[in-house]
Amino acid sequence: MRDFLISIKRAPFQSAASFLVLFFSLFLTFFLLFSLAFFEGILGYLETRPQIIAYFQPKTNENEIFKIRDELASSGKVLSIKYISQKEAFEIYKKMNKDNPLLLEMVSQEIFPPSLEIYAKKPMFLPEIAEYLKRQTIIDEVQFQKDILERLLTLTSILRKVSFSFFGYLFLMTTTVLVAIAHFKIALKKEEIELLSLLGASSFYIRKPFLKEAFFLALFASVFSFSVALLILFYFQPFLNSYLQGITSLTFNLFNLSFNVWPINWVFLLLIFFLTSSFGIALSFLATFLATSKYL
Amino acid sequence: MIVFENVTKKFPLGNIALDDVSFSIEEGEFVFLVGPSGAGKTTIIKLILREILPTTGSIFVDEMDITDKNFSKLLALRRNIGVIFQDFKIVDDKNVFENVALSLQVLEKYSYLEIKEEVKKALKIVGLEDKEKVFPIQLSAGELQRVAIARSIVGKRKIILADEPTGNLDPKTAWEIMKIFKKIEKEKTIIFATHNADIVNSFQKRVLILKEGRLVKDLRKGKYEF
Repeated sequence: MRDFLISIKRAPFQSAASFLVLFFSLFLTFFLLFSLAFFEGILGYLETRPQIIAYFQPKTNENEIFKIRDELASSGKVLSIKYISQKEAFEIYKKMNKDNPLLLEMVSQEIFPPSLEIYAKKPMFLPEIAEYLKRQTIIDEVQFQKDILERLLTLTSILRKVSFSFFGYLFLMTTTVLVAIAHFKIALKKEEIELLSLLGASSFYIRKPFLKEAFFLALFASVFSFSVALLILFYFQPFLNSYLQGITSLTFNLFNLSFNVWPINWVFLLLIFFLTSSFGIALSFLATFLATSKYL
Repeated sequence: MIVFENVTKKFPLGNIALDDVSFSIEEGEFVFLVGPSGAGKTTIIKLILREILPTTGSIFVDEMDITDKNFSKLLALRRNIGVIFQDFKIVDDKNVFENVALSLQVLEKYSYLEIKEEVKKALKIVGLEDKEKVFPIQLSAGELQRVAIARSIVGKRKIILADEPTGNLDPKTAWEIMKIFKKIEKEKTIIFATHNADIVNSFQKRVLILKEGRLVKDLRKGKYEF
């Protein structure tokens, strides 16, 4: 730590430049990771909405409906199926129109068709399920919001690709700038490095103080960027609260582990902090390693 | 201990720094390398340190062929050699103690207490025992060269390579530096590059005389005249 402070004191502008570049990159990385997880959470949430609704003819025998339900359930492509009977459909209608007695008087339970609300395991199975349902003669109508889901899938896929490209660019840009700055700093110690090498110092011994400094700079930059990102996140929390009204929670799945993205969850935030810190330290190490290689 | 066998060093632009040079130096010998500027003295020192490789010929240090392309004991080689330069090569932001300690720290096997003890011994030999906390900027040229000598003799380095260590010093200071070499000559193998005839002649040691990259004389108890 003493060596780190002395090094900063001796080359304050190079240290400040390294710190600011790392801070900026890690700050963007934080929001990139957070946004990706957030959109994955939203996609996951939307996938839990009914994706296909099949309306049966009003007088269809329940056993026939259950037969179709069971066939779908055994296909392995369906996450869940909910049966809405005529009675339940009527109850829903009554609830929705409780302020309009006139509308309630005009209808009876018999005019509501029984239906199946189907949730697919993956959105890609939806067209196939819809086609299967359309072939059933006892089904009057199949509601399948194909366009919306396809758009959402496309959007998420684009977001992933853009994020990865941006992340790649960020990695390249930060490494290049850090290598350039580290070069300046190490050039100041060129003679000392040459001397150490002639005295028989190993490459690791020569690199060690530079790597230590790189580690501390990256650590401070990640703590600082995390703190600033948190302040911004908490500042915008009331806005997000009102925007996401009705959504109780958003979940992000990673390697069979499930993290709550919304409402703001400390475990998830600490995971992002861990990822950004690791990224920052790896970047800083790589830049220092490349810069010192010139003299070793 | 150090053997040069038909060593030639040509630089890429074609100039010949050493031309078919052969000699051997025994353990504990004090050898002067003399000759005018450009004679090849520094090239010999750089070759022994394996900073550069010869174009042809072989060099053996402690029976290791250091010219072998697959030579893998560079650290061991350099950890056995102390180097003194004409321009001192003292680290400005380290004090006298830290500069001398560097030579032991790079070996990564000494404790702080051992380093402290060894550095104090070396500083006593060069007469700087009261200046261990002083920074280089506060030292004279002669004192800086003493620090460099202390750095080269500290620990168990068996070979000392001195590349014109008195070249930047006034005659009085140069003689003071030579007194230090007198003190340490029994314990080490010393190769001393210089073109100072007075120093060479007063020591009465072996002299290798170089001229335009060729070894022209090898005098066992040499006198040297320009």
